[in-house]
Amino acid sequence: MRIVSQGLTYTYNKSTPFESKALKNITLTVEEGEFFGIIGHTGSGKSTFIQHLNGLIPVSEGSLYVGETNMKFYGKKEYAALSDQNAPYAEGKKLSYRKYKKAYKADMKKLRSRVGVVFQYPEYQLFGETVFDDVAFGVKNFFPESTPQEVEKRVKEAVLRVGLNYDEVKDKSPFDLSGGQKRRVALAGVIVTEPQILVLDEPVAGLDPQGKKELLALLHTLHKNVIKTIIIVSHDMDDVAENCTKVAVFSKGELIAVAPPRELFKDGEKLKEVGLDVPLTARLASALAETGTVIDTDFTAEDFISRVIEKYKNRVKRT
Amino acid sequence: MLKDVTFGQYYPCESFVHKMDPRTKILLVIAYITFIFLVKNFIGFAVVALFLAIAVIFSHVPIKSVIRSVKGVLFIVVLAALLNVFFYGGADAEVLSIGGVKLKWWIFSITRQGLVNAAFMTVRIVLLVLGTCILTLTTTPMDLTEAIEKLLYPLNLIKIPVHYFALIMSIALRFIPNLMEETDRIVNAQKSRGADFESGNLFSRVKSLVPILLPLLVSAFRRAEELGDAMDSRCYSGAKGRTKFKKLKFSYRDPIAAVVALAVLAGVILANIYFPHII
Repeated sequence: MRIVSQGLTYTYNKSTPFESKALKNITLTVEEGEFFGIIGHTGSGKSTFIQHLNGLIPVSEGSLYVGETNMKFYGKKEYAALSDQNAPYAEGKKLSYRKYKKAYKADMKKLRSRVGVVFQYPEYQLFGETVFDDVAFGVKNFFPESTPQEVEKRVKEAVLRVGLNYDEVKDKSPFDLSGGQKRRVALAGVIVTEPQILVLDEPVAGLDPQGKKELLALLHTLHKNVIKTIIIVSHDMDDVAENCTKVAVFSKGELIAVAPPRELFKDGEKLKEVGLDVPLTARLASALAETGTVIDTDFTAEDFISRVIEKYKNRVKRT
Repeated sequence: MLKDVTFGQYYPCESFVHKMDPRTKILLVIAYITFIFLVKNFIGFAVVALFLAIAVIFSHVPIKSVIRSVKGVLFIVVLAALLNVFFYGGADAEVLSIGGVKLKWWIFSITRQGLVNAAFMTVRIVLLVLGTCILTLTTTPMDLTEAIEKLLYPLNLIKIPVHYFALIMSIALRFIPNLMEETDRIVNAQKSRGADFESGNLFSRVKSLVPILLPLLVSAFRRAEELGDAMDSRCYSGAKGRTKFKKLKFSYRDPIAAVVALAVLAGVILANIYFPHII
């Protein structure tokens, strides 16, 4: 499923004195198969953007397609102005506004099983009596007709996929687990419906370096095996440089740039203008460039180090 | 979705009423409520309404925000009015008639006294709400709790820990925005997992709230623990020997307000004496 947004705009508290534009004219495409990064400060609109992706915020201005699904939601007046042909969910004849709203809602619910969203600190959303119950919540909501065996199969698979021991944790209370384990359970609760797109808001916030590394590795494994597209929201440039295939930069509700990290971090000026930093590798590279050593890297630590070593070896040979 | 609940929320600006001492304001509101219940006729209400109008004008709060506060209790107002219209049961009840048809059906009847009473109740409730809203619109929650602590100070003598009550109140008020934010986030997360809070019968709707309330409760406890630790680490030890950062001070405004209130009281009493009938 591709994500295509065109001129997406969102205003909080529209037509009140507290009106504020959270998104301004966002035109952005996320191709299937990408490990996409969204970076920006708090208040840059990145959270608002991801809430659009599974219909938590209905699209009011501009357009957004997630796969085949048109996320546009028509207000009462707008809907009344539509012709029978253009109205969504209509087969020849336009639905009443109430029925349209219901159909839209049902459509969004269906979509949510295919676009999983993991919010910040997802471990605070656990509520189940056991890990099993909690992970099964999504399955029971989205596929109410599935048999207990099917539910168990899905839950088991999800729990194993996030790297937990199913037999050990399934009957435990999620509140008895460690912080890192809780987060994994929360993640399992989202991927249990086997979404094609997984969106994660600051997935590694508050984890220790080891936990962070493990979780990112886990996301890569999921990306390789089950989930086609992963989108992570982050403010840590190193995480983004290290993991993403493409990065979008948000600032004050606007989309500043979309590029693979290799291009984006080459010229750090644009990022500095909006008050964002570049990854450590990019800082080192530009410091080296000032001394006359240009390093062509994709800004992952591993690549950067090997290129520097290469350069250094050549130098030694030359002198 | 939760942002609509906050009617009567503090409206920041600099005005005569804003700058009054919160203690005076609380006492005035208590007096105001007493006046409303003393009033026996509409003339008295006119006097009280005049007082309210003066307060609104000197508070610089837009009239729209003040009126909006009635919305929250509209249901109660309408219910009280309807009950009065249909169920007046006094001995002097005279059932009204339109074109010779008596307005009476089964246990319902529309009487002249019922209509008057309904109007009287409506005005009374609306005035009550508007008056108390002026207090919350012009006083920050912190000032309010501070004033309550000061006003209840005498209770300390009979060993009631007033300071702790005030502290509990201010902490509760302080965390309302956080809890709302948290609720929004949890609602979004559970919706993303297919939760549906709007369909099904009452029982299943209540049941669907568990995935929201439980995490909310857990996080409230977590916050409480963290706050407790933070207070401990700054050596908080209750009211004893505690000084205030912001001291409440009476100013020239407060006696002026008191005089106006006394004038209103006199007006209400005179109205009651000279106009013994409700209309």
